[in-house]
Amino acid sequence: MTPRARLHRYGPPLLGIFLFCLAWQLIGTYRLAGLTWPPLTAVLAYLADPAHHQLLGRAARTTFAAVTLGYLTGTGIGLALALLTRLFRPARAGIDRLVALVHATPAIALAPVFMILMSRETIPVAISALAVTYLIYVAATSGLEATKAAHADLFRTLGARPLTAFWRLELPSALPALASGLKLAVPVSFMGAIVGEWFGASRGLGLLMISAMQNFQIPLLWAAVLLTTLTSLILYGLLGLFEAAVHRRFR
Amino acid sequence: MPQAIPDAIRLDGVSKSFRLDDGKTVTALEGIDLGLREGEFVAVLGPSGCGKSTVLRLIAGLETASTGAVRIEGRAPSELAAAHRLGVAFQDHALLPWLSVAQNIALPYRVAGSKVDHARVDALIELVGLTGFRDARPSQLSGGMRQRASIARALVLDPDVLLLDEPFGALDAVTRRHMNVELQRIWGTRTLTTLLVTHSVDEAIFLADRIIVMTGRPGRILREVTVPFPRPRDPSVLRTPEFHALVDELTLALDPEEAAL
Repeated sequence: MTPRARLHRYGPPLLGIFLFCLAWQLIGTYRLAGLTWPPLTAVLAYLADPAHHQLLGRAARTTFAAVTLGYLTGTGIGLALALLTRLFRPARAGIDRLVALVHATPAIALAPVFMILMSRETIPVAISALAVTYLIYVAATSGLEATKAAHADLFRTLGARPLTAFWRLELPSALPALASGLKLAVPVSFMGAIVGEWFGASRGLGLLMISAMQNFQIPLLWAAVLLTTLTSLILYGLLGLFEAAVHRRFR
Repeated sequence: MPQAIPDAIRLDGVSKSFRLDDGKTVTALEGIDLGLREGEFVAVLGPSGCGKSTVLRLIAGLETASTGAVRIEGRAPSELAAAHRLGVAFQDHALLPWLSVAQNIALPYRVAGSKVDHARVDALIELVGLTGFRDARPSQLSGGMRQRASIARALVLDPDVLLLDEPFGALDAVTRRHMNVELQRIWGTRTLTTLLVTHSVDEAIFLADRIIVMTGRPGRILREVTVPFPRPRDPSVLRTPEFHALVDELTLALDPEEAAL
């Protein structure tokens, strides 16, 4: 890429990020949004201070473990359900409706049920997994329907058995949609874990946000939010690169 | 009368109608009687929308006849596909975008669950002029190269029946002629019952033993012409007066309105 093309490609997003940070800083410095909006530099200073590393690090480890577990569990269940509808087509309509129903029920409304069913530490994982399951199920089922008619014709004339067609055609054809689902599931898994921690977890970034809010520890609150958001964004970006690679290869 | 050798492929009184989304039915084919002897090359010639691709899809086992019967060696077409003895080159090349040229051509082996004969794959790549592109992906190839890869794939298992659905339709005239000469050469090397669907009169006459001319709406067989040129056919056949006379005759048959003028 020429320097000029690079400027055209990366210039506007970088400018956008700079303007966002600048606005944050100015609003904080001049108290435009009141006392609860600190300047960006104050939040970064709080994050950089080694005195806070133990507190934030412990909370982050707990939350990220819940996110990882929720993401993997949700992906596993979503894929398993999608495969089930593929192997046993009559189940499709029923599972579709069940998954949509669960998704339509607000996690907040389910939380009391979770609280009597499982330990407080498991709730973040459960809510995260529930939200991820829906996304992955939708991505995988629509991916499995993305097989091109011409390719399906080819496999029929080649005398492919159903399992062969599945491995060599339907699965590769499903990968682009699935990769998009895996990317979109990242922020969803974070949201599920953070919200889940508000129902009595003893540790985690979500809990830290709530307690910092109640105790008016404004820089701590913003530091926890920033840490969560940045991690989610970075993972989203990495999965975006993966998605682009899959789309280039399989479409 | 002596007992005739039974046809390898037979369509008896075949009609095919499709139900459209609005509930109406469209008759694509009506009263089709057609037989292909073993090793015969038959071209189905007709204007677009005359149902000639439907004839091919019926023989490929991709559609079932509404009335009448389609039999290959006395059995249902799907049995030929299940035995991995059918080769089809589609109008849309239908190459898998995630596989290289060599992997695409080797795909029929993998689907059949048999060992890939790499030497044969390489030989076919050379035959269709794709040497140097064996590891390229379909997206990196031109339209003509994709079609050639698709024809190589149709031939790789050494099928008994070859179906070609306008495989050269997207090619420019020069490449198309070149492919016709190549196909004629490949075809001359073995016994291969072939059905070619095309709207190119030249292509049909140059390649086929017999030409079926169809008309559309509903698709019917208008006439049959036996091509008189002996094999192997040299491209110089294309320049003979007999060839041109046959081209004119069939072109008129395809366009009866012009004939009436």
